[in-house]
Amino acid sequence: MNFLYFDPGTGAMIVQGLVAAAAGILLFSKGVMYKVKSFFGLMKEEEDTYDSIDVDEKDTKTHDEGK
Amino acid sequence: MTKESNRTHEASFRDPSGYMFHDGPVLRRAVNPIYFPQYNKLKESGFFTTLIDKGLLIAHEETSVDKDQIILTPEKIPFITNPYEWSFEQFKHAALHTLKLQKYALSKGFILKDASAYNVTFHKGKPIFIDTLSFDFYEEGTPWRAYKQFITHFFGPLVLAKYHGTEIFKMMQTHIDGIPAKLIASMLPQKTKLSSTLFTNIHLLAKMESRHKEDYKAETKIANLSRKAQNNILDSLFNYIKDLKLNEATEWGDYYTKTNYEAAAFNAKKELIKEWTTALNPQKLIDIGGNDGTFARTVLDKVPHVIVTDIDSNSVDHNYRQVQKNKEVNMLPFVCDMLQPAPGIGFNNTERASLIERLKEYAPDLTLALALIHHITLSGNVPFEKSAEFFAKFSTNLIIEFPKREDSWAESLLVRKREFINHFDFYNEANFEAGFKQYFTLEKKETVAGTKRILYLFNNKNLGK
Repeated sequence: MNFLYFDPGTGAMIVQGLVAAAAGILLFSKGVMYKVKSFFGLMKEEEDTYDSIDVDEKDTKTHDEGK
Repeated sequence: MTKESNRTHEASFRDPSGYMFHDGPVLRRAVNPIYFPQYNKLKESGFFTTLIDKGLLIAHEETSVDKDQIILTPEKIPFITNPYEWSFEQFKHAALHTLKLQKYALSKGFILKDASAYNVTFHKGKPIFIDTLSFDFYEEGTPWRAYKQFITHFFGPLVLAKYHGTEIFKMMQTHIDGIPAKLIASMLPQKTKLSSTLFTNIHLLAKMESRHKEDYKAETKIANLSRKAQNNILDSLFNYIKDLKLNEATEWGDYYTKTNYEAAAFNAKKELIKEWTTALNPQKLIDIGGNDGTFARTVLDKVPHVIVTDIDSNSVDHNYRQVQKNKEVNMLPFVCDMLQPAPGIGFNNTERASLIERLKEYAPDLTLALALIHHITLSGNVPFEKSAEFFAKFSTNLIIEFPKREDSWAESLLVRKREFINHFDFYNEANFEAGFKQYFTLEKKETVAGTKRILYLFNNKNLGK
């Protein structure tokens, strides 16, 4: 169903496996660091005004999952 | 863009799923039958509704539906800014916004099929996604096909800006499909290879792209990538971009502590602008060279839509932060060098309209040009009538500040001309007025109390009141 209306680049498609592996390791270690830091109360306050990557759906009534 | 009825929008031709067109003054979107399955699913599942409710995607109404075409009418955006006109923080937020959409889409069985920076613009104080047809079905196990575009449009330019400053964003003018991975990699310091995020997303990508560029028949087998793995890529890019800071980031220097006049004079200028603006009751206002928006903010509660541009990306950043902090919905800051405004780029030179074209279409009721003309005239060597011609192209009313020769800033610019100082004898009140009167009628003139600066109100001879 994908429309190949622009070339995604073969290299770019292949490299994503390696990117994901590196990202996985990094996210895991960051998660561990976060737990350690918050245990010792070392967390800094966020400076950026952009919130998070996740869309908070709690207050959306219209969303119809599972369709 | 001239306003012919039923004309396809110049930027809308690459995607076979549909296109934008001008229906008289209204911009509408046509959806082609090839995209009907996606469109119907996105609509029925509530995907569009959620994104629109959250302010992540531009709202639209379904205007007509028949078997050959669906017509949508999106909410009007008063002014479109392009990536090469964004400050660092704006560029970052547009990138984060794109990742957020892809992550959400993935969780609902869709993908963003492209990650062009031109699909995001700023509206009501926030980044917003404007290409409603950019979503497609997710096929389990496929890598993100827009990944490379995300790197060349967003991640690469941002990382380059970290090392080389925000001037890098101007490279987007010469590379309409983003900065090539190989070029990004070549411009980054060697030490960036030690970062696992930069090594994989940029250096390794550049290498793999070169290695596979001769895959003419698309024969190379592409390995599966689980949804979880793709989420890891998105999360790690998001975290990296969110923490990204400019190396050269100067702290906000508070320009206004460096003014050459007293607080009383500063307030006198504010009051005068407020008074003149209120009397004109403008619906749309642009402040060119407006720094962090200090002066425009004095009338923000009276004007429904306000644009503030500045040449200094730092000032624009500072303005944008205030917009976010105060949750202002009618202020749009962007970066613009008046001496070389953004040209028309892309196919036919019309895919992305030039700044002048966009300003003409925006048609501000009032233009402010405060503490600007001495820079244009003395640093840019632009004769007064040329400056007047520029403003006359789009401004109905113009409030312009003229610092006299005796003003310390004008003086310092003149002194820097050294032995050519006599070439700038024309810089005076009389010549300024004569130049601007070629295109404008003089409505008001007043010296700002406590300064050597005069504030003028001009009305455009051709655009009228």
